[in-house]
Amino acid sequence: MRGEHGIARSDGELPESFRDLEPFAHWALSAEVERMAARENSTFEELQVFYDAMMRRLPAIVEYLNQFPLDRMPEQAQRLLNMALSLNEVSIAVKRYRQPRVINGRERARFFPGQ
Amino acid sequence: MSVDVFKRWAKEHPEMGTAPVPVEPLVSPEYFELERERIFRRSWLCVGNVCEIPERGDYIVREVAICDAQLLIIRGNDGLVRGFHNVCSHRGNTLAWDAKGRCRGYMTCNFHSWAYDSAGQLKWVPDEANFFGLDKSQLGLTAIATEVFRGFIFINLAPEQTLAEYLEGVTERMKPEGFDQLRLQRMYRFEERSNWKVSMDAQNEGYHVFSQHRYLMPKLFITTKEGCMRSAEMTFFGRHSVSGSGIDPNYQPFPVEGLMFQIDKGPSRCRLPMQHGFEFHLIFPNFAMLFFRFPANDFCITHNFWPLAVDRTLWEIRFYAPAPLNAAELLSQDFMQTFNRVVFDEDATAHETVHAGLASRAKKHLILQDEEIAIRHFHKVLDEQMAIRNGA
Repeated sequence: MRGEHGIARSDGELPESFRDLEPFAHWALSAEVERMAARENSTFEELQVFYDAMMRRLPAIVEYLNQFPLDRMPEQAQRLLNMALSLNEVSIAVKRYRQPRVINGRERARFFPGQ
Repeated sequence: MSVDVFKRWAKEHPEMGTAPVPVEPLVSPEYFELERERIFRRSWLCVGNVCEIPERGDYIVREVAICDAQLLIIRGNDGLVRGFHNVCSHRGNTLAWDAKGRCRGYMTCNFHSWAYDSAGQLKWVPDEANFFGLDKSQLGLTAIATEVFRGFIFINLAPEQTLAEYLEGVTERMKPEGFDQLRLQRMYRFEERSNWKVSMDAQNEGYHVFSQHRYLMPKLFITTKEGCMRSAEMTFFGRHSVSGSGIDPNYQPFPVEGLMFQIDKGPSRCRLPMQHGFEFHLIFPNFAMLFFRFPANDFCITHNFWPLAVDRTLWEIRFYAPAPLNAAELLSQDFMQTFNRVVFDEDATAHETVHAGLASRAKKHLILQDEEIAIRHFHKVLDEQMAIRNGA
């Protein structure tokens, strides 16, 4: 079955060339508050494993996603993009805090995104 | 690279002096009430950006609690941006109930359906013949002085001068470059237990970076050998101040950051008028514009410190950047915005802990060092502005 970009559709959550990242598909979170919550509710080891897996593939991920207009991204590609946004979210915890939570930060519930 | 100079700004601005700054205005309820009348009711206050109301009929509603005002900022059919009190002329009902919308012809009051056009003119009154000498032309929405500077919308409840006059030398300093590219990308609103000046003071210096942001930004800015920040510029434009800082050329971004800098490979669309890698512009009384030089496109963060009570503030943070054209740009922008959100998260705690300390009245003065001179300048200006209107 061919999708609109001539790319073979799969039944997986992610595009075929990124099936190796399927174990991390739960990081495909579209809202910032969801990504913040996922970071804070993960163990450091879980963050580190996700970070390493995504960093290895990031240049390929970006090259792949760049072919789609942002407002008309196919579902599987959108999930991959949301995972890359999650990478942004966890990278600071992994590389700077070496723990899931911001050190000396405010509670997440008080620092919420506005409209 | 390190810069070991000391007391540079005191030498450049001897009129500022070096004395400790009194704490009392930061915690006094009486002073707060005087600020309401003498400062906030007469200053130009930034309430948004034209990118929020791009089309004819678009409007936003903004609350300015310190002035007990709710404002309707609307782009008319003629394309002009106008500001009004969001209050129906009939019996004072709130006209627009949503924060943002589009007027497709008329703004209609829910109470008795009085209808106004997008220029604030009263166009229709149901059962008009049952009124007494009703003159619709005199009953439009109450206008408020509204002006736009570099795309940012300012209002003033009792203007003493135009916005350009009010901004003094900032108008010349901030050339009209790049601002038309900016779009509001995200916003945070944070209600905190602090006086608006305590929150603003905390943002208005770089001395805290080496300590409070030791995890995030240990070697980002140019510092002394000891690691303490040294600004490259401190200029005062009347009531306003501009500080500039250089980015350390040896800065090593961490991997995601570095990668994000590289992947955003499009041609630059937005160059803001900057002389340094980072600039902090304080527009008196309570608005800060932060400019960031970034490899692909510059971006802007603004802070509003809205007073709610002597010990409560609504800190509103807005991120402006060009609309991303592809995933690379989106991810790169998202990284910078997420990173800065965490920086502000680290800052936020101090707003409340400092206020708690000052409210105890244990200390009578703030002791300021040379890199904190912009704080000194602000408090001096505030003092002067309050005194000018004493008895007015």
